[in-house]
Amino acid sequence: MSKTLFEKIWDSHIVVQEDGRSLLYVDRHLVHEVTSPQAFEGLRLNGRQVRRTDLTFATMDHNVPTSDRSLPILDQTSSMQIKTLEKNCKEFGITLFDINSPNQGIVHVIGSELGITLPGTTIVCGDSHTSTHGAFGALAFGIGTSDVEHVLATQCIMMEKPKTFEIKIQGKRKNPHAVTAKDIILSIIRKIGTAGGTGTVIEYRGEAISDLTMEQRMTICNMSIEAGARAGLIAPDEKTFQYLKGRKYSPENYDECVDDWRENLKTDSGAKFDKSFTLGAENIAPQVSWGTNPAMTTDVTGNVPFPDEYGKGNPEEQKGAQKALQYMALTPGMAITDIAIDRVFIGSCTNSRLEDLMEAAKVVKGKKVSAKVRAMVVPGSQLVKKNAEQLGLDKIFKDAGFEWRESGCSMCLGMNPDILSAGERCASTSNRNFEGRQGTGGRTHLVSPVMAAAAAIHGHFVDVRELDLN
Amino acid sequence: MKGSVIKYERDNIDTDVILPGPYLKIHDYAELATHAMEGLDKDFHKRVKPGDFIVAGKNFGCGSSREHAPIALSYSGIKAVLALSFARIFYRNAVDGAFLLPIEIDEDAYKDISDSDSLEVDISKNEIQNLTKNKIYKIKPFPELIGKIIEAGGLFNYKP
Repeated sequence: MSKTLFEKIWDSHIVVQEDGRSLLYVDRHLVHEVTSPQAFEGLRLNGRQVRRTDLTFATMDHNVPTSDRSLPILDQTSSMQIKTLEKNCKEFGITLFDINSPNQGIVHVIGSELGITLPGTTIVCGDSHTSTHGAFGALAFGIGTSDVEHVLATQCIMMEKPKTFEIKIQGKRKNPHAVTAKDIILSIIRKIGTAGGTGTVIEYRGEAISDLTMEQRMTICNMSIEAGARAGLIAPDEKTFQYLKGRKYSPENYDECVDDWRENLKTDSGAKFDKSFTLGAENIAPQVSWGTNPAMTTDVTGNVPFPDEYGKGNPEEQKGAQKALQYMALTPGMAITDIAIDRVFIGSCTNSRLEDLMEAAKVVKGKKVSAKVRAMVVPGSQLVKKNAEQLGLDKIFKDAGFEWRESGCSMCLGMNPDILSAGERCASTSNRNFEGRQGTGGRTHLVSPVMAAAAAIHGHFVDVRELDLN
Repeated sequence: MKGSVIKYERDNIDTDVILPGPYLKIHDYAELATHAMEGLDKDFHKRVKPGDFIVAGKNFGCGSSREHAPIALSYSGIKAVLALSFARIFYRNAVDGAFLLPIEIDEDAYKDISDSDSLEVDISKNEIQNLTKNKIYKIKPFPELIGKIIEAGGLFNYKP
């Protein structure tokens, strides 16, 4: 019988399946400081151990400061949460990449960087952006703290089988340096909506997806959750196998594994998806979000919408747009390129990898950040930071007036010292423009790294297709 | 379950407004509760009473996997959220820890139920009775696995 890639991975991990529920084996469990304390506490209260310490990896990313690491952490509750993770990992025997580790970083950046993420595996983490790892053909789910405890104790997760959703991006992007993976995924969410993928596992397919590098594919899969999907997948190919070769935790019999992955990890021709959506890559423009969810996005050449023209006549959507524009303090009809910004954030599990920084640096090189803008670059991991510094990217950014910081989630989620002040407007390469996400009263515009870099220089959004990026 | 309604006529009420990021460092559930819905409604904490229901639009609980979101609502006294639809991680988190019931209602019920209405929710009959308006609405039955976890009183009490 023909099967989709999702069905193949799902079927090969079933421990028990009956009555609409499946007990699924988990190959890799990633843990961070925010969603794990109560889970470890639960184990302790019930006298349970971590079942597979060898398959469990932890790091601290959400509330670590991104300033000088030799200084103490001033926020007492953050410091406590970080110490709690250290204590829990020590007590339960889990590998931890702590704040001083050369492998510390955002959990969804270090997974593949260290070869923990592998094709065909199941991966869970107490974090919604776990979908990122699907870029390698892994089935990766974000879970809550109760499930984290369940996986720590049993190495299994209890789920209902999701439906399958094929998203095909056909053709080629016209200007691949200016129109990025971020613009593809924002375009998709703009079309299918924030609940368009609810209850499904998306498989991204088509020429424009195959054309992407591994780091670009991670940007796509990362934001699957922003479309409501349980996970996002891309079938592994030669780029995938090349990327993971020789990483710290890549398997010793790597070539044998590759033979198996190449043979098995693809959707059979004739396999049926429950749902399908197709988009042409040629007409995708650089995207800018104007509202308070990622579907509220438009082309950089577009205008802020009039609420009564938004949402195809749906009154709820129109009301939503009105509230969003109020929060964002934007006037309907104004050009996106007329939106002036106060802050720029290049970072997060969506866009903080080496290629993201290389692309942004091309825009920044030899220029100066606008006098009205405070801009920061936060590499996704210590390894990304080191590699970027070897290429001299830190110097390019610092010379232009950017802050060059230590790795972590930083200004993506407003739970460490990197936050927006009320009313500040930010061009951000992160994944969520929810109200207050980057700090109470802060206003977020989601964009690609090149768009963010160009906005930093000009003080407002510009169409990066007009810049020389080659 | 009997209680009164706090209604938000909004789709996409995300976990960042249900429990904003800065409070994810708080481990005391009662303290978490004082910040519930703070990103959307600063008066929620003053208004909410034990047994109350939240009524909302589509895709309730979208965004982050933070279990702090259903916990904060639960410890505020919210027994169930009645919404047109739910984001899946929130949905699971709500029942895994037996924090609250995520109940799917239809458009008619959503439009009909007003803020402060008194409701009686009976999941054994898949029914909501609006005591203020003297009306009955059907609720969408829980999927099999979810129903069993709810019946058991949470994931850890559920024995397949």
